[in-house]
Amino acid sequence: MADSGTKTERVTLTIDGREVSVEKGTTILEAAEALGNRIPHYCYHPGLSAPAQCRLCLVEVEGAPKLQASCITTAQDGQVVHTQSDDALRQRKGVLEFYLANHPLDCPICDQSGECKLQDYVFAEGRKHGRNREPKRVFGRDDFGGDILFYGDRCVMCTRCVRFMNEAAQDPLLTVVERGNRSVIDTFFDEGLEGSPYAGNIVDICPVGALVSKDFLHKARAWDLDHTPSICPNCSQGCNIDLHTRDNRVHRLKPRPNLDVNQYWMCDYGRHRYDWMNRTDRLEAPMIEREDSRVATGWAEALEALTARLEEVGDRPVRAIASPFSSNEELAALRLLVNALGGGEIHFRSPRTDEEIPLPSFPKLTRRKDLAPNVKGAEFLGMARVGDDDATGGLEGLEGFDGILLVVGDALPDCAPDFGSDAALHIHLGSYTSRATEAAHFRLPIATHAEQEGTFTNFEGRVQRFWPGLEAPGAARPGWLVLAALAAHLEGTAVPQRAEEMFLKAGELTPHFQGITYQDLGTRGALANEPVALPGA
Amino acid sequence: MAATVKVMRRPAAGTTSYLRSAIKGMGLTFKHMINPDKATHQYPEEPVELSPRWRGTHVMEVHADGRPKCVACGLCPTVCPANCIRLVGGEDDQGNRYPIVYEIDEFRCIFCGMCQEVCPVEAIHVGQHFENAEYTRERFVYDLDRLMEQDHESTLLWDPSDPRSE
Ligand code: SF4
Ligand code: SF4
Ligand code: SF4
Ligand code: SF4
Repeated sequence: MADSGTKTERVTLTIDGREVSVEKGTTILEAAEALGNRIPHYCYHPGLSAPAQCRLCLVEVEGAPKLQASCITTAQDGQVVHTQSDDALRQRKGVLEFYLANHPLDCPICDQSGECKLQDYVFAEGRKHGRNREPKRVFGRDDFGGDILFYGDRCVMCTRCVRFMNEAAQDPLLTVVERGNRSVIDTFFDEGLEGSPYAGNIVDICPVGALVSKDFLHKARAWDLDHTPSICPNCSQGCNIDLHTRDNRVHRLKPRPNLDVNQYWMCDYGRHRYDWMNRTDRLEAPMIEREDSRVATGWAEALEALTARLEEVGDRPVRAIASPFSSNEELAALRLLVNALGGGEIHFRSPRTDEEIPLPSFPKLTRRKDLAPNVKGAEFLGMARVGDDDATGGLEGLEGFDGILLVVGDALPDCAPDFGSDAALHIHLGSYTSRATEAAHFRLPIATHAEQEGTFTNFEGRVQRFWPGLEAPGAARPGWLVLAALAAHLEGTAVPQRAEEMFLKAGELTPHFQGITYQDLGTRGALANEPVALPGA
Repeated sequence: MAATVKVMRRPAAGTTSYLRSAIKGMGLTFKHMINPDKATHQYPEEPVELSPRWRGTHVMEVHADGRPKCVACGLCPTVCPANCIRLVGGEDDQGNRYPIVYEIDEFRCIFCGMCQEVCPVEAIHVGQHFENAEYTRERFVYDLDRLMEQDHESTLLWDPSDPRSE
């Protein structure tokens, strides 16, 4: 991956009896991977340079005098490679035995257990029992600052972490000190990883449990976690991530490779902002007005009462407040409903900072200024940003507004409890309880992005899908379903049954999404029809 | 095949005496009362001797300083076929991994002994104990303290002289 560029010439080689044709310049390890044939390796990582020092990717190449390190040996035309020959297996077994000479049998208390490459490789190719009778060297545990703990005894000295800090983050805060048996990764004197905005990635790329996250320490076993592909909701970059969940809680976020958006990485800002997905102060049942109070009901009754009220209120001006944390589907459904009610302005409030945090080796990955995932989607659907940089204010124009007021996804934390009390009909769709929404005539619970399927549009207009990793609490439903059901009732059309159908409807609302299907998006996303120009890219 | 049925005639009332059989039966009973080889076990006055491989309610081993031996590795909740172990791991003030919550629902447990077999630090054991009557169901969920207090013998799942069954 380090040097793509303009390789078009192809070479054909044979790996374990199967022919494979790859671009010239590809290494044997990558060619084998293209065949689905994984050669053990530690120091090689697709996003970093390959120093060929772990000696674990040794394979037999016919004609070569000795085994070759497949991570740096480029594939040649007509080459014949054996990854499973007796010689290769014997030597790799020997290398693994050396790794275990000093590695503690820490698995029961190690957070990497279950997703550890040393466990995997030794299980697949190593010896059943150790022969080493010497005492193991002991380093103990070191706090590297920030979110990162270092267990020196577990390190296999692959130097991925050092190379990540040098090459990708370009913030050389880690180094190898000492030599040979005593070598160990360390920071420089008192300086830690604190404040280095991409340092969390070294925990992901560490093949063993030497680098672990303090936030995740002892929280869950790797095999207990479910992985759901999702999109980071913390800025408009839209990094591809996996939600790691257990017992209906998100326990950590991990980057999911997407070479067009975030390569193999994500920023620490995004990585550590997942607590809100586990919030428990949730709206759980539809609340409707009954005389002067509000009572909880079921959905059928709530929607019936709401449609009756909409008809009773009749033709009134409509204003809506949306949220840039809503999916394209939810925003499009809101647009549909507002159109069905006769049309009106939709505004949204969005947090924003002045600072961008680019990853030096791949500046296209930047923690963007917009700290919400779907600002672009809202703009595509003709909604306008109002208010301040901390997502407050901007609603002064609604004071005394006496039409139909729709608030979707914005909990209005800065508004007074009597917000919207002048409106003929005040409808709130939200996930969280808040003071300002208690007075709404109808308060309907909707799912968060972690609890439903949908898409976000990132800063450059790339539409990317996410999947539900959690179960929504109580009667909460996806917002698009509620809004689209109301719109369909007013228009007399069919209610879209799946997020995919709703997205097709969004394509009817804006040319940006026209003709795009979920199939086109896949797991990697696709640019909307009219990608916006990248500032300075 | 036609079944042949032998018809037994019931003795007419008043013509047969059962006295002989009754005396014979009572004789047997009295004989057993004085028989030194009788099999009846006088439980609960006499305690039952359990086999060393009897698998009953659990025991959590403790270190000399009173800490549980469990390191919260998560293997026993993973292997448990009855899914009756609840574990939340954490770190104590000396930086050791330990179970903040460790509970076994002895009502759901099927006493398979796999938790004992899988434990890498020989912390959790099934025990040689079966007298567990309680007044409420909740009391059958043993928490960490209760498991550490159990003082009965733990089970020998294998012969100590031949731990790998070789
Ligand atoms: S800490 Fe991890 S990533 Fe760094 S050299 Fe050691 S094993 Fe490799
Ligand atoms: S750059 Fe943005 S999208 Fe990517 S991880 Fe950071 S906050 Fe999330
Ligand atoms: S004995 Fe078997 S069923 Fe009972 S707790 Fe242990 S593993 Fe679970
Ligand atoms: S297997 Fe042993 S160490 Fe692991 S959680 Fe169970 S009791 Fe604790």
